[in-house]
Amino acid sequence: MKRSAAEILREYGPFPGAEQVHGVSFDGRHVWFASGDKLNALDPASGETVRSIDVAAHAGTAFDGEHLFQIAEDRIQKIDPKTGRVLATIPAPGGGDSGLAWAEGTLWVGQYRDRKIHQIDPETGAILRTIESSRFVTGVTWVDGELWHATWEGDESDVRQIDPETGEVLEVLAMPADVGVSGLESDGGDQFFCGGGSSGKVRAIRRPR
Amino acid sequence: MDSLITAAARALAAGDPLGALKRVALRDDAPALALRGIAMAQIGDLVRATALLKSAARAFGRKEAVARARCVVAEAEIALVSRDLTWPAKALDAARATLEAHGDRINAAHARNVEVRRLLLIGRLDEAERMLATLDAAPLPPASRAAHELVVAGIAIRRLQTKSAREALTRARHAASEADIPALMAEVERASRLLITPAARLIARGEQRPLLLEEIEALPASGALVVDACRNIVRDARLAVPLATRPVLFALARALGEAWPGDVPRGVLIARAFRGKHADESHRARLRVEIGRLRAEIRTLADVKATKRGFALAPRRACEIAVLVPPVEEQHPAVLAFLADGESWSSSALAIALGASPRTVQRALEQLAAAGKVQSYGRGRARRWMTPPVPGFPTILLLPGALPGD
Repeated sequence: MKRSAAEILREYGPFPGAEQVHGVSFDGRHVWFASGDKLNALDPASGETVRSIDVAAHAGTAFDGEHLFQIAEDRIQKIDPKTGRVLATIPAPGGGDSGLAWAEGTLWVGQYRDRKIHQIDPETGAILRTIESSRFVTGVTWVDGELWHATWEGDESDVRQIDPETGEVLEVLAMPADVGVSGLESDGGDQFFCGGGSSGKVRAIRRPR
Repeated sequence: MDSLITAAARALAAGDPLGALKRVALRDDAPALALRGIAMAQIGDLVRATALLKSAARAFGRKEAVARARCVVAEAEIALVSRDLTWPAKALDAARATLEAHGDRINAAHARNVEVRRLLLIGRLDEAERMLATLDAAPLPPASRAAHELVVAGIAIRRLQTKSAREALTRARHAASEADIPALMAEVERASRLLITPAARLIARGEQRPLLLEEIEALPASGALVVDACRNIVRDARLAVPLATRPVLFALARALGEAWPGDVPRGVLIARAFRGKHADESHRARLRVEIGRLRAEIRTLADVKATKRGFALAPRRACEIAVLVPPVEEQHPAVLAFLADGESWSSSALAIALGASPRTVQRALEQLAAAGKVQSYGRGRARRWMTPPVPGFPTILLLPGALPGD
């Protein structure tokens, strides 16, 4: 296992009206972040929020290339980003759902205190399989066939790559003390976007190669 | 971090404890327990709330020190509001230190405020004032700021500083309306009424009128000699002679003050000071002795002159004599006069101060407690007595959030 300090490239926010940042996602142009009662689109180049959708947004956010997925209470909403309409909802795996990611036709849901990641059917919400982690799981993301997730226990937080088959930890990027990661999304390249919980910030960190 | 917890916490923050409970009712993980505890406290089930917060504090992990500290602060606040004064102050102090060390300034300040409220409640005014001076209220959200200003006002009222009390209450009113919590606004209004409610009666030249706190404060400066039956002292603008330990002398001073500028017949003085119905020669002899003692005690303030039928007061500097008495005359005025300083007393200290037997004092305290005039905390030798807190005492709960990393 490789272990290093996370390199924070840029901080965005806090944003007016968004006390907390829960899930984050990336649609190729904008970073979407969930702030409780809104999904907000942030331009990572300018640092400005360009629009927002009024929708319950309590935890993880994901993007499948066309739709946004957002966890609210005990369900996952499928949202049309153009109109902001909720097209469908499926039940979340239940009890403490945290991070959310889309990959290869399925959704991946982090369960915070249960230290688990579930792969679920995006049509029905049925659990297809479950990976165990050793830490409280917040954000989840896939990039280039690598499964990464964020952990946050008390004042310790990190971003780690795990083997999706065995759950073995392959690499850990430790965040500075008292800097937490609530949501996680790769930009498909050299960066991860991290939701900063009650700091109200979104941070970009370097993805190691 | 956890969708349902986030949703429940938002409901709680929006003043919807039932909505919060609905979302986490069936969960027994630490944050859910903490949220349930806070929601139950807001609904008013303080016993269940305490149990839930205790188990939440236990369930949070080793690394979740902040979340655990917040549970402890919430628990302490509930204990305070339910007047459970046996609750360990050390645990609260440790929790505050943890919150400070982790940069949670708002909840650290909230914890400090709870500590000050506790000191005020148990009548340790000096300590409360000292601690208040170390508290920076600026980071507090409006609701906690209002609670803080109520404490400041409470201390000022006990110290008879009506100007600072009024200023603190004005700040409290602003903060409460900013917080937009009706119960808190009502609390501020209740405290404010103390400034416009008569706090004593004034007897001067045979006439009586009710007096506001402000007027009581102004009385010594007006140049009058004040015989204060609320605290059993005789004072003018320059000097105060405490007679709380000399109930007979005070009774004489009061009788003479009420009659001024007239005199008081010996028989009346004997009846009021010794509770004797008939004045025989031994009583007259004792009266002479006690008048001599009174004369010595208050000689810088007033002379006690003999008249044909009795005695009369003659103030040295003051041009007027005013007697201050409680709005309603109570049983056991001597005991109440001691407790009127707002500090806490052991019954044995009261017995020594009053020159009465511990049993007599104990009985008086129990009667007064039954009438709601005094309250006690602690047990056995550690038991302390005081008058019920005046204002400044939000009964409302302003519990801190209890989420990890939130």
